[in-house]
Amino acid sequence: MSNKKIATLPTKAHATMTIATAMKTEKAPATTTTPATTMMPVATTAAAQAPVTSYDAIGDAINSYQQLFDTLGRAYWDATDMHSKDTIQGTREAVYEILTGLSRAKLEANATAYKALLPKIEHANKALEEIKEDIRTITKNINTAASVIEAISKVLAVAAKL
Amino acid sequence: MNMRLVSGAPLIAALLLTGCTLSPLARQTAAFSSATSFVVDNSEDAFRSAVRRNDRVQSALLVARYDTQPMDPHAIKHLIDAEGLRTRRTVLDGLRSYAQTVADLAGGVSSKQLDDASAAVGSNLVSLGSAVSATTPVGIAITPEQANGASTAMKALGEFLISRKINGSLPKTIEAMDPSVDALCKLLLDDIAVLRRQSGNDYEVLLMEQDAFIRHAGKDLQPIERRAEIERLPQILAEKQAADDMLADLERCVRQLALTHHALAAAAGKKDAPSLTARIAELSATGQRLASYYQSLPTATS
Repeated sequence: MSNKKIATLPTKAHATMTIATAMKTEKAPATTTTPATTMMPVATTAAAQAPVTSYDAIGDAINSYQQLFDTLGRAYWDATDMHSKDTIQGTREAVYEILTGLSRAKLEANATAYKALLPKIEHANKALEEIKEDIRTITKNINTAASVIEAISKVLAVAAKL
Repeated sequence: MNMRLVSGAPLIAALLLTGCTLSPLARQTAAFSSATSFVVDNSEDAFRSAVRRNDRVQSALLVARYDTQPMDPHAIKHLIDAEGLRTRRTVLDGLRSYAQTVADLAGGVSSKQLDDASAAVGSNLVSLGSAVSATTPVGIAITPEQANGASTAMKALGEFLISRKINGSLPKTIEAMDPSVDALCKLLLDDIAVLRRQSGNDYEVLLMEQDAFIRHAGKDLQPIERRAEIERLPQILAEKQAADDMLADLERCVRQLALTHHALAAAAGKKDAPSLTARIAELSATGQRLASYYQSLPTATS
């Protein structure tokens, strides 16, 4: 793989703070290199949003960073010299990491929602087990009838010998 | 005491009673269970694939940064942690178990246990007849046909009672479960939306890293090696498309599952059985396609 210089946007640190409530991850990288100038306005716009804490706000942040990521992708493939490509690559990797962090945050939030659903599913399965048990009881009662008949036969057989 | 049995009567009763068990619900729940199983398997596969794919990208980044910005391999973090995967698996397995039990109950009015118990009643009646004849002046001769009649009647009675229990309790459970299935499907759809976006980004980064590797390796690569590395570029794009198609299919499948359960709940209340049939057919077809896809895929994303 390449030995290019990684250009990390300051936006990563900012985004990390804004979604900290949901993510509880993503430390800001130590290295900060000035990215390609054409990318800065977009990045700054995305980063300049008010701190986001709600689920919808995470969605908005995702959309903004996704747009940036896609734009950087087009810029990467359009660039013709190695230096520009490397610079865009570093920036895009940083945005990718922010997006991945946001994905993790959403998936983690969903895991909590799954947990909340679990008792309801367990309750339904318990209700079904109770129906099964009732059905087993019906079969058991028929077995009991057969056993009673068998027991009477045995008593009568013994009585015949007396 | 006249214990002669009219051997034809229990058979007629059996036919009348077992007729109650062939409800639309009983006919459809097995198909619903099988379709649910597809969705559960495919969702679990999708989660695992997404984690493996994201791990792969992080490894690629680790390699790319190794000389300039060393990265601790321990810093690689799964897209969904073990707890998150376990929670999803538990919930999905709970859904599978629910669908399976509903199918068992609706379709399982007859059972080997009931057959055995009913058969025992008939054979024990034969023994009872012999015992009564031997010990009392009352002559009772129970023929095998009469014993079979008694067994059949007992089985019919058992099936009737079971059927009454199922028809009385199962629809309520299904209807009560409908909002939970709906909520679960919405969660799955939200997960899939995240996975689709993340999958696209993962492949885009892999593509970019591969391109950078080729560019920087330059003449260090032998011509044949270079060709193989360049050929990886369109392959990565093809993988990206295939993964997205699969997740889009899974999305459709989950939507279908929610609609199918609504239809099942309606059918349980005997309101809209025909739409249930159509929903199940669509769901099964999508699920089957996904299963085939996953069976062909695992090594591609590992």
